[in-house]
Amino acid sequence: MSFGRFLLKRTLQGVVVVWGVVTVVFLLRFITPGSPVDVVAPLDASPELRRQIARELGVDRPLYVQYFEYLAGLLRGDMGYSYLSGTEASARVFARLPATLELTVAATIVAVALSVPLGVISATRRHQPSDYAATTFSLLGISTPNFWLGIMLVLVLAVQFDVFPTSDRAFGFLESVGHLVVIAVDGPLVPPGEGTRLVVEFPLDVGAFGRTFTTWLSYIVLPAVTLGTYFTALITRLTRSGMLEELGQSYVQAARAKGLPETLVRYRHALRNTLIPVVTVVGLQMGTLIGGAVITEAVFDWPGLGTTVINAIQQRDWPILQGSLIVIGVGFVVVNIAVDAIYAYLNPRVVE
Amino acid sequence: MLSPRTLRNLKREFDRSALAKVGVALVALVVFVAVFAPLLAPHDPTAQSLDDKRLPPLGFSGTENQTTTERVNGTVQVVNETVTVNATADHPLGTNALGQDMLSRVIYGARTSLLVGLLGTLLAAVVGVPVGLVAGYVRGRVDDALMRSADVMLAFPSLVLAIALVGLWGRAAIRVPDPFVVAGLAPGMPRTFTLPGTVIVVVGLVNWVWFARVARGEALALRDEEYVKAARSLGASDPFVLRRHVLPNSATPILVLATIQVAAIVLLESALSYLGFSGTELSWGFDIAQGRDYLATAWWISTMPGIAIVLTVIGINLLGDWLRDALDPGIEGEGGGGA
Amino acid sequence: MSGDGGSGPAGRGGGRDPDADAGSGAGTETETGVGDPRSRDLLRVRDLSTRFFTQEGQVNAVESVDLTVRDGEVLGIVGESGSGKSVTALSLIDLVESPGRVTDGEVWYRDPDLAGEFPAASDGDYVDLRRVPERVRRALRGPSFSTVFQDPMSSFNPSITVGEQIAEAVEVQRRARSNPRSTRSRTQGYGLGQFLLDSVVPGRDYADEASHERAVELLEQVGIPDPGERAEEYPHEFSGGMLQRAMIAQALAGEPDLLIADEPTTALDVTIQAQILELLRDLQEERGMSVVLITHDLGVIARMCDRVAVMYAGEIVERGTLADVFDRPTHPYTEGLLGSIPDLADPAPRLRPIEGNVPSLLGEEMGDRCYFADRCPKAMYECLSHPPEYDAAGSGEHAARCVLADHEYDPAEALPGGYFGGESGDPTADADPGGDDRAGPPADRRTKNAPREGGDGD
Repeated sequence: MSFGRFLLKRTLQGVVVVWGVVTVVFLLRFITPGSPVDVVAPLDASPELRRQIARELGVDRPLYVQYFEYLAGLLRGDMGYSYLSGTEASARVFARLPATLELTVAATIVAVALSVPLGVISATRRHQPSDYAATTFSLLGISTPNFWLGIMLVLVLAVQFDVFPTSDRAFGFLESVGHLVVIAVDGPLVPPGEGTRLVVEFPLDVGAFGRTFTTWLSYIVLPAVTLGTYFTALITRLTRSGMLEELGQSYVQAARAKGLPETLVRYRHALRNTLIPVVTVVGLQMGTLIGGAVITEAVFDWPGLGTTVINAIQQRDWPILQGSLIVIGVGFVVVNIAVDAIYAYLNPRVVE
Repeated sequence: MLSPRTLRNLKREFDRSALAKVGVALVALVVFVAVFAPLLAPHDPTAQSLDDKRLPPLGFSGTENQTTTERVNGTVQVVNETVTVNATADHPLGTNALGQDMLSRVIYGARTSLLVGLLGTLLAAVVGVPVGLVAGYVRGRVDDALMRSADVMLAFPSLVLAIALVGLWGRAAIRVPDPFVVAGLAPGMPRTFTLPGTVIVVVGLVNWVWFARVARGEALALRDEEYVKAARSLGASDPFVLRRHVLPNSATPILVLATIQVAAIVLLESALSYLGFSGTELSWGFDIAQGRDYLATAWWISTMPGIAIVLTVIGINLLGDWLRDALDPGIEGEGGGGA
Repeated sequence: MSGDGGSGPAGRGGGRDPDADAGSGAGTETETGVGDPRSRDLLRVRDLSTRFFTQEGQVNAVESVDLTVRDGEVLGIVGESGSGKSVTALSLIDLVESPGRVTDGEVWYRDPDLAGEFPAASDGDYVDLRRVPERVRRALRGPSFSTVFQDPMSSFNPSITVGEQIAEAVEVQRRARSNPRSTRSRTQGYGLGQFLLDSVVPGRDYADEASHERAVELLEQVGIPDPGERAEEYPHEFSGGMLQRAMIAQALAGEPDLLIADEPTTALDVTIQAQILELLRDLQEERGMSVVLITHDLGVIARMCDRVAVMYAGEIVERGTLADVFDRPTHPYTEGLLGSIPDLADPAPRLRPIEGNVPSLLGEEMGDRCYFADRCPKAMYECLSHPPEYDAAGSGEHAARCVLADHEYDPAEALPGGYFGGESGDPTADADPGGDDRAGPPADRRTKNAPREGGDGD
């Protein structure tokens, strides 16, 4: 089977999974106590009013009709309208998506860039101080709840920024983080209004861009570190143990026997094969990363999909909730197809 | 399930590895604290005392902004002043904003964490293992269907799904009478202990997929083993072969996975209760959330329960590493995923 | 030859001086009578010991081994699994892995250039590889020594095409020639960044086009049909025999002086085995290289080798020309090995396995006796002290580490049966090796009981 056909097959499987996701999300409303009408209708609403609301929301029709209408709507990019604000759900969800993407991508980049070298160093300098440091870090990293880590980071940095740690200013720092994050998403250079548009003027003002970028960076560092730590630690552990295993394989000895320099043996041979299972686990753990993003957003008031989901649950705003969950699910499926493609590229045996 | 050889391997790895000893010690400590919480806790963890609110832990001092009204020369004046608050031996880890004793809350929090972790894992295994074994053993369409539905499950981050389910289904809590208090051994402690029922069900349902995946892998491999083929050729029924041959021989990887899962579910529970999606207020995550508003003045409210979580999860992870290294079931840190 | 009898362990100090050694080593190469002995010896190994430091204790996998490899010869090393023959091979090319370590000995290699560069470690044209830096030893892998391992399937990286792996071996030598200085650097300019670039940039590769073409040529030389296409395939797409050919091609990439073949045919079908041996023989004759052939299969030895060394419990217990060892075996272990070959003409009565297992190589358990005494049908009281290497009858270089090479077996001195805890049978019953018609258990039981090569015993 060629690589293209492999990819096609995975994509078709992905479509099936996405359909499953949509179905589960749709059915979620029907296995939940309470009716959408309760969300919208006033407490003293008359039966007629309730019926009218149900008709307007479209929830009075048979299940299968609603289901197919919802599917048809999704195909058109229509996720319905918010029960509470009446805005288009898809607009709301997609307005929030970039913030979450930004956060998860930053965390993934940090995690992969740190963890693979860390794991390799750890494995090749076994029982040396750098190995102990890396294993301790990774054990702590996989054992620390990331919301707590975020709070501790804020606490320590607040303390550091303030000469007197118990003064009111430390609390103010927390507030300012929450406040400035919102500005950063709107963008200091962006005219007031919705969206995350970044206006770049020509001729390019490098100084201003640098300031904007630094501002952006300063806001994303803490959430990205908070979100990325678990992942970094996990991949470090996997890389270390995988590398140790691969370095014990016969082909490594054979590669040394044919005179390859040690770095070539380590990276081109051992690391390459180490990364094959690591890539699989990374793919499986993308769900953890996205889940982690939800709670990280909550800690840092990061206006992404995670906070949207939490708010929508609390308000029972079904179209928003369903839209967000579907986007998260589709994102996971897409990432996993990409991961599978990388896996197939690294490991030619799966394409068979 | 535990052959002499297995026990020997466990012992050898335990003797060899200092980390395994640390792990066992930590887990033993947490289990001990959780079981005997009413006897160990110095105070009723739910008892509020506004006079003692936000007391710092031993060895630290805190400050408190006090607003008092004074009558000076016949006019009422509002006086803002910062006063130093000293720690008392009565509250070694300090108190929270409601004056509840942090040490007692940390001790009782161990109960919630471990109970949710163990019962959630048990539920996930009870659902996931049979599904996985049957899928791997029967193969074909059944396998395809089950694995696709597992993919659908995996497409929802476990935390997101758990939030959605707990948030939507409500936070049912089960009140369990506390045997120590009922027996009169721990006067002044809460008479009942609250189990977050929905949370347990939800974390179990959210994590069954990992068990299904591992059990399926084992069943796929074991099906081709000679002794399984032999049993089948002798006319043993499929349920018999599954129970007699496949399940016992899958036990090791499932046990190792279960250990990792307890750690993951402890983290998941803390995240849920941090976000307020839990059925109990005696939970480490809940306390961390409570302390978040007081970081500037009372850092210990968030810090102490967090340290408890980290130590617990480190202990379970080290225990898992020990089992994995000693039993070598060939699964690689898969199936994690908490907060 | 009795004048040389006092050599053995005591005579090894002469290894520092190859000329002197040629005279003093037991049954060494002086008597070959063809020209200057120095010019014919490619490698002289003296007193080589390799130990594994395990939790259970120190394992003496290779103990005081002396070996000489001559130009253009095939030297066979034969022994049971766990006898230390593979570790000996790895020790020669400095690839023993932790917890193992070469602890003692000298590996004299003929290389005038290197000898000039490291005068402190050299003697004439020879240089002691144990005393040159590790990077120098590494740089010799490929152009001087190369290795064919037992299991081709696990000796190739499963995720890189066969052609590319051979091209790598070519490329590393090409780079070494074009820039001799960098050859000995640890990285040779290849780091993590290089790996990432190679992985991400399409068409970028470590080996260049010429190296790939050379790889295809090599594949053709070892008799792989459609070498151009096969080069693009992955190891799992090859059959075992074809892959072993490919590994031989890879070993030839650096034009080595010495090819070490470690059980090259063990993992293969019998019919394929013959083809691979034939290929090795042809290539060896064509190129005039030396071959060290390690095997447990006496048939392979008989077919391929000029000279033979028999290993037992980490020691060489008997060595000599093929005729010496096969026609006039002196050590009872060698006799036993020869006796355990099934004879097709007369299977049942001749099948005589060696009783017992390869002994533990744990340092503290080995004691000071002859290591074979517990399994030996001719064990005598004097075998309770470790024997030196004696000259044996035969060509000038036939030697055995057994008192029987020095004097006849004396039944009166025989150790009583069960002396070592009942492992060996009654020694008197086996006194006459020729006239024994006792039918033993099947021959393959021996290998089943023995620890596997590379397992705990090694």
